[in-house]
Amino acid sequence: MKKIMYLEFERCIGCRSCQAACRECGGHDAKERNYVEYVDFLESRQTFPMMCMQCKDPACARVCPANAIQITDDGVVLSAMEEKCIGCRNCTFGCPFGIPKFDFEENKMYKCDMCYDRTKHDIAPMCASVCPSDAIRFIDHDEMMELRRKRTQLNLIEGKKPSENNKWQYVPEFFGVYSD
Amino acid sequence: MKELERSFYSKASMYSFIVVVILFFSIWVGTGQFTKVGWMKFGYMVSSFIFFIGITVRLTAWLMRPATHEVMKRTIQNMKTTKRQKRNVKAIVKTLVDNIILQKFIFKRGIYRGIQHWLIAWGCIGSLAITFGLVFGWMHFRLVDATTYQLVVFNIPTITMHPDGIFAQLVFNGLNIAAAMLLVGLIMAIARRIKNHDLKVTERAEFDLFPLYLLLAVTVSGLLLTVSFKLLDGWMHSTIALVHQITVVIFLVYFPFGKLFHLPIRPMAAAVPMNYQETVQVDTKECIGCHKPYSNDDQIADVQQMLGNQAFDLKMKDGNHPSDYCPACRRMLRVMNHLNIKSPVGEVAEEPVQTNNGIHIPGFGRRRAESFYAQSVKEEK
Repeated sequence: MKKIMYLEFERCIGCRSCQAACRECGGHDAKERNYVEYVDFLESRQTFPMMCMQCKDPACARVCPANAIQITDDGVVLSAMEEKCIGCRNCTFGCPFGIPKFDFEENKMYKCDMCYDRTKHDIAPMCASVCPSDAIRFIDHDEMMELRRKRTQLNLIEGKKPSENNKWQYVPEFFGVYSD
Repeated sequence: MKELERSFYSKASMYSFIVVVILFFSIWVGTGQFTKVGWMKFGYMVSSFIFFIGITVRLTAWLMRPATHEVMKRTIQNMKTTKRQKRNVKAIVKTLVDNIILQKFIFKRGIYRGIQHWLIAWGCIGSLAITFGLVFGWMHFRLVDATTYQLVVFNIPTITMHPDGIFAQLVFNGLNIAAAMLLVGLIMAIARRIKNHDLKVTERAEFDLFPLYLLLAVTVSGLLLTVSFKLLDGWMHSTIALVHQITVVIFLVYFPFGKLFHLPIRPMAAAVPMNYQETVQVDTKECIGCHKPYSNDDQIADVQQMLGNQAFDLKMKDGNHPSDYCPACRRMLRVMNHLNIKSPVGEVAEEPVQTNNGIHIPGFGRRRAESFYAQSVKEEK
């Protein structure tokens, strides 16, 4: 997998087409695995999309007592294996980003797997392929780095809080898995 | 225990040794000091030993995982607490009935899947029980007189039966009944694997398909044995017996290392109602951001302990952990930090959570081709 996911939260217009697309993805069982939520509903109607970061060392897998959360060769963190998951919900509490969802009826956890069947062939995941405002993008590493570089410069010009030392912490996140 | 452990190479080898000794002793008792060992079943016996050693090694390694260890520690602690006995017994009985015997949660994933899994699961457990019982000599039949058979368990004579009675037929055909259940379940499972394209996303041939076809080989060759001596006058019986033995040996050796290993770890599901969520979907701990209940104290304490033991430093600026917030608040906090907005519910850590663990360093840490820097210099001008 050569491409990565890139999120720009303020581009989100709250249309929720990413969630509709997620429900359509193979193996997702008509349940969305991503989130579109209000940043601060009392202040503005700004929404943000949220997907799994596909951590290299996932906290969800580390707190799973059944060793049910597996990582593919490409580095995609999959939903808990249905046969192993004992339904303790530790992963939903261990994840620092609040990503895994839990189905009490079927007693299993499910989470964003970056549409593994698509991204392993470098096809954009469902959410990125439908996003009308480019809040979710599936792009090359170089393209992403350029976008981020521009953002840091913009942030500095506008006199926001970031300084030269920590400006990389105030740019949109990129994630996903890629190899050089 | 520590003293004993030191004389072994590892924990796993110690437990394996204990298991082997117990098995050996059970054979000694069951076969009347090795007088009635079925040497026909020697191949099965060796592979059964490998099965038990494999299970022991895998379980030991699994219990040493920090997360599993933490859950088991709390389970043992709760088992010892006299105040919680009622809850413990309730949790174990409920898990045993709903989760293991009836497998209700799989039926909720679909009736088809439920029936299929229930048939395979109980076919497997039933035939494994009969296999181990016969191979290790834990039980055998004895002819008391011309019309009376007796079941001997661990060399203790128990119930007697008429060889043509219904009970005797059920007992003698135990393996056939289990095999019939397995056959139906396996055909259902294989049909599902072929038809349902959603399954192909995460399907792995060696993990998901191999055990199915292996079980099918065991089942079919086992049933062919019955067909051979009942209907075909024992035609090819010894050949089929050999083929069956080979498939069973592969199955027993494979069992602890593949998909089927989920069987011995399932009982840990009892730890969920016992330690964490007493009633499903009733939470007791409030999120410190939105004050809505989202979990319970014991579970959050365990999760934080597990993360701490594995050197995850997720502490935020205000001294709380992300797990003290509900998932929705956690998502909001993270986005607010990135949009440079001060959050009303808490202050996140100065550094964003590293998801790449230094394997990839974002930003300037990565040296790029000269042309890249030349371009950015040009842009700045």
